[in-house]
Amino acid sequence: MAAALAVSMAACSSGNNGGNASPAASGGSSSAPASASASSSAAPSEKPLDKITVTFFNGVAGEKDLNTNETTIGKMLEDQTGVNFKIEHLVGDLNTKIGTMIASDQYPDVMIPDAAIEEVLKAGAFIPLDDLIEQYGPNIKRVYGPYFERMRADYGGKIYFLPFGPQVGEYAADPNINQGAFWVQRRVLKEAGYPKIKTLDEYVKLVEDFVAKHKDENLTGMLTLTHDWRFFATSNPPMHLAGFPNDGNVMVDIATNEAKTYAGSENEKRWLKTLNDLNGKNLFDKASFVDNYDQYIAKLTSHKVVGFFDYGWQIGNAMNVLKDAARKDQTQDDFVYFPLPVTFDGTHDQYLDPPGWTSNRGAGITKSAKDPARIIQYWDALLTDENQVLKSWGVKGETYEIDDKGRFYRTAEQIAKLDDAFNEKFGFKTYDWDWPQYGTSSTLADGNALAPGFQPEVFQMSLTEGDKTILGKYGVQTYAQMFDKPEDRPWFPAWSIPKEQGSPQQIWETKKDDLLKKYYAKLVLAKPADFDGVWADYMKEFGKLDTAGYEKWYTEQIKKVVEVAK
Amino acid sequence: MANATASTRPARSPRRNSSLGDRVFDILNYVFLTLLMVVTLYPFLNTLAVSLNAASDSIKGGIHLWPRQFSSENYKFVFNEATIYNATLISVLRTVIGTLVTVFASAMVAYTISRQEYVLRKLVTIAFIITMYINGGLIPNYLLIRDLGLINSFWVYILPGIIGVFNLIIIRSFIEQLPESVIESARIDGAGDFRTFINIVFPLCLPVLATVALFTAVYQWNSWFDVFLYNSSNVKLSTLQYELQKILQNSNTTSSAETAFANSSAGAAVKVSPLSIRATMTIVAAVPMIVVYPFLQKYFVKGMTVGGVKG
Amino acid sequence: MDNNDTLSAPQLAAKPRPAGLKLFMKKLVSQRMLVLMSVPFVIWLFIFKYVPVWGWTIAFQDYQPSLAFKEQQWVGFDHFRSLFSEDRFLISLRNTLAMSGINLVLGFVTAVSFALLLNEVRKVAFKRVVQTVSYLPHFISWVVAAGIIQTMLAPDGVVNELLKGFGMIEKGQEYLFLGKAEWFWGIFGASSVWKDVGWNTIVYLAAISSIDPAQYEAAEMDGAGRLRRMWYITLPGIKPVIIVLLIMNIGYLLESGFEPQYLLGNGMNAAYSENIDIFVLKYGLQQFNFPLATAAGMFKTVVSFILLFSANHIAKRLGQDRLF
Repeated sequence: MAAALAVSMAACSSGNNGGNASPAASGGSSSAPASASASSSAAPSEKPLDKITVTFFNGVAGEKDLNTNETTIGKMLEDQTGVNFKIEHLVGDLNTKIGTMIASDQYPDVMIPDAAIEEVLKAGAFIPLDDLIEQYGPNIKRVYGPYFERMRADYGGKIYFLPFGPQVGEYAADPNINQGAFWVQRRVLKEAGYPKIKTLDEYVKLVEDFVAKHKDENLTGMLTLTHDWRFFATSNPPMHLAGFPNDGNVMVDIATNEAKTYAGSENEKRWLKTLNDLNGKNLFDKASFVDNYDQYIAKLTSHKVVGFFDYGWQIGNAMNVLKDAARKDQTQDDFVYFPLPVTFDGTHDQYLDPPGWTSNRGAGITKSAKDPARIIQYWDALLTDENQVLKSWGVKGETYEIDDKGRFYRTAEQIAKLDDAFNEKFGFKTYDWDWPQYGTSSTLADGNALAPGFQPEVFQMSLTEGDKTILGKYGVQTYAQMFDKPEDRPWFPAWSIPKEQGSPQQIWETKKDDLLKKYYAKLVLAKPADFDGVWADYMKEFGKLDTAGYEKWYTEQIKKVVEVAK
Repeated sequence: MANATASTRPARSPRRNSSLGDRVFDILNYVFLTLLMVVTLYPFLNTLAVSLNAASDSIKGGIHLWPRQFSSENYKFVFNEATIYNATLISVLRTVIGTLVTVFASAMVAYTISRQEYVLRKLVTIAFIITMYINGGLIPNYLLIRDLGLINSFWVYILPGIIGVFNLIIIRSFIEQLPESVIESARIDGAGDFRTFINIVFPLCLPVLATVALFTAVYQWNSWFDVFLYNSSNVKLSTLQYELQKILQNSNTTSSAETAFANSSAGAAVKVSPLSIRATMTIVAAVPMIVVYPFLQKYFVKGMTVGGVKG
Repeated sequence: MDNNDTLSAPQLAAKPRPAGLKLFMKKLVSQRMLVLMSVPFVIWLFIFKYVPVWGWTIAFQDYQPSLAFKEQQWVGFDHFRSLFSEDRFLISLRNTLAMSGINLVLGFVTAVSFALLLNEVRKVAFKRVVQTVSYLPHFISWVVAAGIIQTMLAPDGVVNELLKGFGMIEKGQEYLFLGKAEWFWGIFGASSVWKDVGWNTIVYLAAISSIDPAQYEAAEMDGAGRLRRMWYITLPGIKPVIIVLLIMNIGYLLESGFEPQYLLGNGMNAAYSENIDIFVLKYGLQQFNFPLATAAGMFKTVVSFILLFSANHIAKRLGQDRLF
């Protein structure tokens, strides 16, 4: 089945036709090699392969350095392919590390240069993968085929690296809210009788009323997170409130594909004015602008904060603490936060990520690699349905079960077993990202979700009584159902459209961030009467930035992407 | 050194009949120093308390001097890491070797530039001092180290830092403070410069050498940037601080991809957090250096140097 | 061995005149032991510290790490121009000078005073405990220390609680310490002292140990009190070290550190907290702009030399010990 798919995909992918991005022009050159490689993909388990170790530098700090064959999954993949990866994660500054690699022209075999990818490409460190994929990558073609044109268009006509997360099969929504939302304590909704909260005004009123009713509790109405690079948690809401998903610094009109910044816009003014009003009423935590991330998280667990905006992935630790407490003691459920789809006008929200394609991140093979073919073969092997199940669900009977309808699920014991240490040993952690793989929201051919967390059966098991109650009150099964369905945006996320380091676009962003950091505090903490005056100062300084140029550049890029995606 | 009164009693013996002013001074001094101690002890105790507190509880903040929910989980997390044992050994090696080399080399060069008659004195001194304020930058330094074949080598920890100019100058100042007569008497005995340095000057400099040793040892012990730049792909040469940095990053486990894939049960208990691990690694890394200090303190005893000269 | 004229009094060792090249060579031979003891390290110095200075050329190039030296594009003083045309750079220069100035004065005064006070403690055990404890914060990284400082200075932190306790402010009037831009330098100075006063004292304690105890006894017999002894014996005893350190540190005035400002800085105090190093990080390294970082480094070096030589010269004029 996989091979058949690969052949059909090959028709619209292509060989080496340079920078020409038109699918029509590229169609003719390639159909024979596809079938040849499709047959070779079945081979690996038959002929014994000599074992090799490939060095792999991951520019994203985080997990443990290891050899993949020390993990259960990695060992099984080594048995199939004979390849072991020795992974090193970044520890210090990315640009420093990449800079020294480029200057000395010595690279690990495989690299994820993360934010420094433009520099790595400019240095010619990645080898083009087109021919290798043609020869050894039937599964790569099947999975990445729909994106090949885009990948080539982005980087001068060749494929130099494989981004993560191509969508495969039906779109499976994340039932939890890992992305942005306006959060509020559950007790607030309970006390108000579970009202539908759609607009910012409704949300603010809800918070205000609650604090007013609980004067003696010394509550904070709202706070925001501003620490260091996490400042976007305070500056992004205008975009979401206007009904757009997180495209970074721009809101992209879905009809005209025009990109507009929201910094310096009326939307931003409205958001800041709202915070300013809250502050005027003593409902906003002034320390928001000086607190560090740890202090912020501590406040979220203190039961004293009624509401805030943030991205789910950024508040995981605080949420876990609150949920743990609620699991042990029902009454603590009041303090767990609930996500709400708040917008300015209450009509249409786009908080949930549409299927995305982060085009400027990925793994590539460097010119230092001794055996690129083996690496491609490994990646290709990883992209079979079977191995995708292995890397995300694990081994049947051990880390998941299949019911008589063919649905994957996990038993309570299995769930309990999957702690950090186990995930590390088994390889779930190593393989959860950073490899060519199906996108998180992919669905397998048999209808099961690729990500266990996205499988309704698994999600339902994780719910407490309190969770079920509140979801029931709103007539939904998952948190995601509180939100509107994401619309299709081929460029999403726009922030991943490649920008050179030190380019005018990047400088604009750095300067804009500095300006926002300087003025947001002034605007929010100003006396309500002074707000307009401070806003005028802000606009004056903002006017010095070449925002029109930035928007123009972005619009052009987005149009290009849309063109390629057609 | 004008006063030549022979010392007939131990230097520090207090005079009992101290004046009122002296006693007031003493009291104020003790009070002040005690206050200072409280203020400087707090961050360390706080860090210790956080390191011994359950991570899921530390997240809530408000830990001061004592753990609220005692837990050794943070230390287990750190010590479970198999790599830190070898890394500790490397750290000890680089600290010991680096310190010995630096102290000896710095003292020797310092001696030469303290000799007024040395014709290259000014040249050498200025050549060293200039380097305090110039830096070729990251990439040229990296290329130099590579061309010297020091990438993935233990010696990259030692060779680039043989002499710290700051140390050099401190030692030189100290040597210049020594009575010239001491050195002259050695000369009269027919000792050459090297012998004078080894037999006379080096022992007399122990207080300042102890200081330099401490500075160097702490620097060596805490370094991780050179590991990051030059030896990051070779875990056998990794140091404790570098491994601790890795563990710290490892403790930060809230990426959305991970929650989607790795664990289905939403809200798994928080076992470690960067906050707790940072505190723990601070303690783990600091304790050896703190333990060393009292051993060096005995070299800071008042009058020790001159006593040595006279004895 | 080199039993020779190195014994001679300093005046004989005056600088060789150009005419006296022969004399110079002769001396060099006779001082071969000193040469042997120092010149290998000068060679080391040349290799490790001077050779990489070729990297300064990067500041005049549109530097691409992947290209060989010959292939780089030269852009003259462009990077310097862009540096000085930035308002932010000039502000960060001001902040750098202010903060390192504060640090210099505060650091010296506190460390020297602390050393003097410690020296007056007669109970050895107490002295050692104070010394060890004051040395502890040095081992707390700035990340951890900044976290503690931020917690203490928060509206509900211990400093505001103390102010309330003393009745200096009312409830609801808590200060947002780190939000007051103009207070940042003070907070930075105090934090630096808190973290490093014990550490900075060590070198003075070593210096004090070289003072002849007989001097104290004589002074005591003359009836000099503690303060007078501190002033007339201890302080002059460690003066050479103080002056040498002072000169070296004046040369470092453009290096005000990076971590505390970065960690304690925020949007509200950025106008006072952002220093050159933060500027270079944001607009240099984080943009993969090595030339800008190099240009800033060269600028710092030039300023350092001016400061260093001036300070050394002044010390010389005042008849004090000097660095070189």
